[in-house]
Amino acid sequence: MAIVNRAEGRAYLTPLVAFLLLFLGFPSIVNLIYSVSTVSFENLRSPNLSGFGNYVSVLADREFWQAISFSMRFGILTALAECLIGLFLAIFLAPLLAKRSFLMAPLMLPLMVAPAMIGLMYRLVLHEFAGPVPYYLFLWFGDSPAFLDINNAFRTLVVVETLQWTPFAFLLFYMAYVAIPLDVREAAALDGAPWFKILWWIELPLMLPTLVMAFFIRFIDGFRVFDNVYALTGSGAGGSTTSLSIYIYQAFFKGGAIGKAVAASVMLFVASLAVLYGLNWLAGRRRT
Amino acid sequence: MLNTARWIVFTVAALAMNFPVIVTLVTSLKSAKELSINPGLWVGQPTFENYLRVLTQTDRFNIYSYLLNSTIASLIGTSLAIILAFPAAYAIARSDAGKRTLLPIVINLRAVPLIIFAIPLYMMYQWLGLLDTQLGLGFILTIVNTPLALVIMVNAISDVPLELDEAAKVDGASSRQVMIMIIRPVVRPALVTTFIFGFITAWNEFLFGLMLTTSRAVPMTVGASFFFAASGGGVQWGTASAVMMLGALPPAVLGLVMYRQISGSMTAGAVKG
Repeated sequence: MAIVNRAEGRAYLTPLVAFLLLFLGFPSIVNLIYSVSTVSFENLRSPNLSGFGNYVSVLADREFWQAISFSMRFGILTALAECLIGLFLAIFLAPLLAKRSFLMAPLMLPLMVAPAMIGLMYRLVLHEFAGPVPYYLFLWFGDSPAFLDINNAFRTLVVVETLQWTPFAFLLFYMAYVAIPLDVREAAALDGAPWFKILWWIELPLMLPTLVMAFFIRFIDGFRVFDNVYALTGSGAGGSTTSLSIYIYQAFFKGGAIGKAVAASVMLFVASLAVLYGLNWLAGRRRT
Repeated sequence: MLNTARWIVFTVAALAMNFPVIVTLVTSLKSAKELSINPGLWVGQPTFENYLRVLTQTDRFNIYSYLLNSTIASLIGTSLAIILAFPAAYAIARSDAGKRTLLPIVINLRAVPLIIFAIPLYMMYQWLGLLDTQLGLGFILTIVNTPLALVIMVNAISDVPLELDEAAKVDGASSRQVMIMIIRPVVRPALVTTFIFGFITAWNEFLFGLMLTTSRAVPMTVGASFFFAASGGGVQWGTASAVMMLGALPPAVLGLVMYRQISGSMTAGAVKG
């Protein structure tokens, strides 16, 4: 007996679908139209269709490619660092955490603080006069680098992002690690396998799906980064910290280049759909 | 020996990852005089004068208004997401509807950079008069919260034994009555988790707050940056630190109280996503 028949099911879905259509479907259509129009703040409601000029001008924009390069490097580096450190912490600290789960709380705290707020906090942490990091570096080593200048800003931001989001990877890995059935480990230990062999041949393969998933989630979040970068450096340091999201934001709000911003949005949309499609395909293949 | 190493690693990791929060907390307790001579990590004479100033001198930047805006917009964004997603989750868990298309689309939304929709939404809000309103921001936060809300609730409802629904149906209950009177109380813990997690996510959102609000509806994350930008001669570090601590407090407290439930829901979203 079906609890919910087809018509009822549709009815229950309708409010959510309607809401999504209004707030995501409609904007998507507007995006597509504007991206092939000459549009400014004066003719928002009657844009002139003008072909693919916006796409051409975005693709010819050096800053666009710089932004893509920043987002790509940032996404890959932070995802890698977060997953490696998170994996180490999850496995190394597991015996400690198994008995005292309250120790999870301080490790999860960074996830509760707004990334934008963390960005602002680092302005203080790294400030040359008021910040403790430069203060102690001067005190102990007599010198402190300019963390946010054009040479160091990228590295600083990678560290900032990694420190905040490693807990996320750690959390996923820890959950996956403690979910490994005890008898699997015990059987291997009884056969005399040393811990690193158990880790490499048994535990890590069992955790592989989680590792892949965490990497991609962190990569996507790193690629589209906005909040902490914007709060800490803006697009500053000579434009060297313009992520793709910041590029779109700047083109629209600072430059008033609506067509360009929208064309870049559409390309980002298509790219993220392609990545998602690939991921789903991978996940589907794994199941069969 | 190995255990000592574990404690050391734990301590270093916890301190490093929470370092900005620790620094901000310490700085917020320093007097203006001490700030100018001591940027270090200790406080000679702790004082609450920064907090007092932030909470009493509200002529230029009104922290109460930021806190209120964040609270209202986050409440809208969380409640509406649950109200919309709960019946949908019920339909998905208990019938064929929505399984093939709606569920995958909404889950993948988690991975789509929402800035893509920001520009048309800005224009749409201009036409609708939703710019710089708590309601408008609340709608966006609903979109942000929907994917995880739907996943958590579909999982929770799928775990409820079908016999429960069937028994109620035999007694003559309609599917709507089953949903509201049987399922809702059973999955209450999942609803609470969704609410807490959604509230934290909504409170911490920044991009749309920055784009869609200018004065009346500015949320805490954006308001905090005002204390940095507009102080002309230089940032008042004591004031700014107190503001950041107050702004980060609500989600942090919620999160620390509920961290067990939240860690569960994070993995739910990740594994199914």
